[in-house]
Amino acid sequence: MKSNFVLFQPTLATQFQALSAIVRKDWKQYWRYPLNAVSTVLQPVIWLAPVYFMGKAFSINGQALGFAQYSGTSDYMSFLILGAVLGNFVNAVFWGMGYALKNDMDAGVMESNWLTPVPRLLILVGRSLTNLFVTTVTSFGMLIVCRFVFGFHPTGDVLSAVLAVIPMLIGLYGFGFAFAGLVLIMREANTMVDMSAFLVQVFSGADFPVTILPKWLLPIALILPLTYGLDAARGLLLKTNTLLSIGTEVILLIVFMFIMLWLGSWIFYRVERRVRMLGTLGQH
Amino acid sequence: MTTQTIPLTRSLGRSNFLSGLRALGAVMKREWVIFLRYPSWFISLFIWPIIFPLSYVMTARALSGRDGIGMAQFQAATGVQDYTGYIAIGTIIWMWQNVVLWNIGFSLRNEQLRGTLESNWLSPTWRFAYLLGSSAPQLLSMLMFLTVSAIEFVLVFGVQFQGSLWLTLLALLAAIPSVYGLGFAFASLVITAKEANAFVFLVRGLVMIFCGITYPISILPDWMRPIANWLPQTYIIHAIRSASLSTDGLSAIAGDLKILALFGIFWLTFGYLVFNWMERRVRRTGAIGQY
Repeated sequence: MKSNFVLFQPTLATQFQALSAIVRKDWKQYWRYPLNAVSTVLQPVIWLAPVYFMGKAFSINGQALGFAQYSGTSDYMSFLILGAVLGNFVNAVFWGMGYALKNDMDAGVMESNWLTPVPRLLILVGRSLTNLFVTTVTSFGMLIVCRFVFGFHPTGDVLSAVLAVIPMLIGLYGFGFAFAGLVLIMREANTMVDMSAFLVQVFSGADFPVTILPKWLLPIALILPLTYGLDAARGLLLKTNTLLSIGTEVILLIVFMFIMLWLGSWIFYRVERRVRMLGTLGQH
Repeated sequence: MTTQTIPLTRSLGRSNFLSGLRALGAVMKREWVIFLRYPSWFISLFIWPIIFPLSYVMTARALSGRDGIGMAQFQAATGVQDYTGYIAIGTIIWMWQNVVLWNIGFSLRNEQLRGTLESNWLSPTWRFAYLLGSSAPQLLSMLMFLTVSAIEFVLVFGVQFQGSLWLTLLALLAAIPSVYGLGFAFASLVITAKEANAFVFLVRGLVMIFCGITYPISILPDWMRPIANWLPQTYIIHAIRSASLSTDGLSAIAGDLKILALFGIFWLTFGYLVFNWMERRVRRTGAIGQY
């Protein structure tokens, strides 16, 4: 008798099937509310507006000369727009993983999903893939809007900048794993996701050069891999002053990537085991 | 055969003013229990008032430059000497409106997502109590939030509140009807429109762009200023900045208070009417349990 592929015979193919099922479900759910897609493009533009007008008040003949003293460029809007794009990806991973688990808890499907023989990390990765893809598309949309609204114009090497941030994006998954563990045990996501994503963006210099942070806050910025990712991308695209040489920053990003993936998954599995022992997986 | 008299107890099934109040109390109690159940509110109470303005304050510091060249330009253009206090107050009012939109705006939507809205709606209670009951604990937590924010602004950012505490409280009181009336209207629309996130982003985006949270609205292009004049948050921010940061007294905020009183009447009435319209509509279309 010929046996069929089923999920309880975990193979690479079945895991891929599970992954694609998760992605398909999220994709369908995402487009069920199409206004959200429009707002994803416009939202970062709205966030940039107060800084745009504030920057105008600080500029002399349209040039942010004060800003150039810290960053090496007077084009403060392009500086901030790149920060916003990378901030979108931070949000995609944090919301995609942490908040998705909370949604499952609220909907009452968390426990049943957990009973399937699919690796837990695969579920987390699956939950973030749709978000990541949508973020990539909407970020392009946002850049186009920003070109017309704020005059975004990168002058450097786009391909090198994209290659430089790839290890940072993979490393972000490590953050996401650890964070999902925290959501599992705290059973609350909204405040935590919002605050953590915001803190990471603030301290990695999404909105300003980190060198202006007070000395006691600067170490927080320097231990975040995102700081170097943002710095390298800006250095390559806008020719800004960088903290270290771009080559050193890319090496640091690769090292951080491995550390974060290992540390994140280790934390997640520890917490997940604890939650299963406590029997609180189905609670919210 | 003996007849047994069953004592009649007052229940929610006989709708009157007192049962409406009891329902309101029950919703308030439930919301308060849920609020306390997730202790992360305690962390956000202390962290958000620092980190949200921090981002703008640091950007302003970067724009100022090492030698203060940008700062001199900002002071000349706006007449504002202390940009930290200016930004801190603008951003905190934005956060207040934002939290109201999420919490009050989502109160009914969350019930819908949990699948309890339809059953609650079937109970013979005053339905506006669901919305009003969610607002009371939220208002209390927001007053705590604003108090903590003010203390942290002094301690962390070194903001000097030279104005009057009583005038600041008066401005806050005048702001409450507009902020919460908008929340009621919003919550009602979200039940039918469903896409709550997008609506929050739109409304808070309008406040962020037009109400001058980090800059004076005189910086805005001519075509944008009339829009700012039609948003109550513009007056709330101006009134609270004037009352708390300057020593100009009541005369500096009297105009804002009058406009806020009118906005308050409008938004509370509008919020209540939209709720009633939505309530009839979702019952007619059967959309109350859908999500």
